[in-house]
Amino acid sequence: MTQPSANCPNCGAKVTFRWSASVQTVCEYCKSILIRTDLNLEKVGQVADLPPNSSPIQVGTEGVYGSHAFVAIGRIIYEYDQGNWNEWHLMMNNGTSGWLSDAQDEYVVTFAAPGRKLPKECRVGQQYAWDKETYVVATITKAHYRGVEGELPFQYWNKVDVVFVDLMTQAGKFATIDYSDEDPALYLGESVQFDSLKLKNLRTFEGWS
Amino acid sequence: MIRSFFLIYGIAVLAGVSFAEYRGWSLNRVDEVPNVPKSVRDNPGSYRSVYGYYHHYTGGK
Amino acid sequence: MSDQGPVPAGTPQLKSLNCPNCGATLTLRTFGQAVTVVCAGCHSILDAQDPRLKILQTFQVATGEDRPLIPLGTRGTIRGTKYEAIGFQRRSIRVDGIPYSWHEYVLFNPYQGFRYLTEYDGHWNDTSPLRSLPSLGRVGNTLTYLGETYQHFQTANATTSFVLGEFPWQVRVGESVEVSDYVSPPRVISSEKTGNEVTWSMGEYIAGRDLWKAFQLAGDAPAPIGVFENQPSPLRANVRTTWTMVTVFLTLLVALAVAVYSTARDEPVFEDSYSYNTNVRGEASFVTDMFELKGHTSDVVLTTSADVDNNWIYLNYALINEDTGHAYDFGREVSYYHGHDADGSWSEGGQKDSVTLPSVAPGHYYLRIEPESDPHHGNISYRVALRRDVPQIGFFWLGGLLLLIPALLISWRSMNFEHLRWAESDYGGAPSASFLGAVESAVSSVKDSMDGGDE
Repeated sequence: MTQPSANCPNCGAKVTFRWSASVQTVCEYCKSILIRTDLNLEKVGQVADLPPNSSPIQVGTEGVYGSHAFVAIGRIIYEYDQGNWNEWHLMMNNGTSGWLSDAQDEYVVTFAAPGRKLPKECRVGQQYAWDKETYVVATITKAHYRGVEGELPFQYWNKVDVVFVDLMTQAGKFATIDYSDEDPALYLGESVQFDSLKLKNLRTFEGWS
Repeated sequence: MIRSFFLIYGIAVLAGVSFAEYRGWSLNRVDEVPNVPKSVRDNPGSYRSVYGYYHHYTGGK
Repeated sequence: MSDQGPVPAGTPQLKSLNCPNCGATLTLRTFGQAVTVVCAGCHSILDAQDPRLKILQTFQVATGEDRPLIPLGTRGTIRGTKYEAIGFQRRSIRVDGIPYSWHEYVLFNPYQGFRYLTEYDGHWNDTSPLRSLPSLGRVGNTLTYLGETYQHFQTANATTSFVLGEFPWQVRVGESVEVSDYVSPPRVISSEKTGNEVTWSMGEYIAGRDLWKAFQLAGDAPAPIGVFENQPSPLRANVRTTWTMVTVFLTLLVALAVAVYSTARDEPVFEDSYSYNTNVRGEASFVTDMFELKGHTSDVVLTTSADVDNNWIYLNYALINEDTGHAYDFGREVSYYHGHDADGSWSEGGQKDSVTLPSVAPGHYYLRIEPESDPHHGNISYRVALRRDVPQIGFFWLGGLLLLIPALLISWRSMNFEHLRWAESDYGGAPSASFLGAVESAVSSVKDSMDGGDE
């Protein structure tokens, strides 16, 4: 796989894209948010210090989901009244993009599911059907963007308030509707057990080998 | 464990029933008298003295 | 793939902070995942996400403060993962005015997340959040999850009365949630409702001594009292096994009966008719001709038929072995009375009598017969018939009963156990508050576990 690279317009450091379709990345050295317009990098913002977070996953963590291997190449950190959580951007080995949500060590893998009719608003308990499964709205969370790291498949920074609607099925399937843009975006997937992802290259924690 | 216990118990019950049926056991009891003398065939009345006790009042002396 | 390497995210460290209220040292063990942390010194609940540990609530503790049986900071392995106990709380409900309290422990692993242990009266449950939604059953008080049916056990308002350590949610002493438990031993599904939001979790019964081993705690786990809602019945599997075996053996018994009835000789060996003149006094005894009893040692059935009508005849019998002199000595009465009275016609007795002589050895035999009856009642005709090797139904009934007894016994004991279990529930006895209800739920659980495959 080719790994395009360029120089950071802010500090000149070399920026490599692990994923050819990345739209945005963060310079590891000066924390500038850089948008790629094919290999001309444009700085659009700066990432403030990331909050102390306890996700065992880091950029570079590798794992397996279903029949595909993946590498975590970026993330978005959201904050809400109960704390924060991470949406890790996964680069699947077939070139597609996936998301691994890590909320207090509860893991959900989802993939973008475009082209569905989505409601403007939801209430807890409402049901929707996608792909022959019935999803029930379980939680509605008002969060705000807290930071980004690594490569993302779209532009994402400085969102003010974001509403996330989480839906669950009776079979362990999971869905999220992201209302941060004008057009809500749907992600479909399922909750996964930590062990089934066979993660490698995780962070280590003091006192835990 | 309960399986093997019941297996042994069940086989014992079946074996018991088989044996009882084969050997012709009876649920009622019958007195057995050994050594009835051959003379009873000629004189059935003499058998009386061989029983251990009377089953009923025979009347008379 | 070429790798310039990720920027190391740094190894998260344990954090030591001072309580803003009393200055005591607190250690945060969850690497930033805790939302609240309790200062054990001054009983203040602090905001764990705030670097200054803002005080959220201070609570009072009655004397005799709870101490966690699993000390905070202890690590133990559950389901192959090492967890550390980092939080502890006591919650209570009120049923019929009586308070019941239980304890919950928050366990943490930085990779696997959070798990919970609940303890009530020595009964422990290993609980974790459910990742799929259970479906509420059609009958209001059941729900189904992953093909298993759970019975509603109890709904009550649970109030938090004591907290210690770190929590991944906003605890407050005194707050209440509506908790509902649905059981399918050894599992329980609980729902916690605050306002509009419902969270579901699943618990599995775990023995105290297994936890003591996992956490390497000193001493013994507290002895469990009574039967807990999802405590697995040690008898349930035995009930199923026993009834399966009973069915198998009863079938074998029937097969045995068929075999015995088809192979028994049931052979008539002697039959003759006699007349007894009751007017004649003197020696009435006589002997029959000799007959042979063939085959192996087995029974002999002697049937006496007499034409007594409102009369009786008593026959002293002796079946004597010609060769060995061994005799079977017995007497049989045949009496038959009948008539009419105010209630209609009645009858008593019969004109036929049968007796089974056990284990008669083969050989040559004759009968010595001595009839008796009331004198001066005319002639009584009677017939004596002997059959050899006749199968008897009595032993099969006895065998069937003996096979059933252990199954009935164990079912009774199991029902007792279930009754104790449900005594603590909202239903105070059984889901349908009746004996049939208990049988029903026992049967449906047996059916469930059979459908679910072998244990």
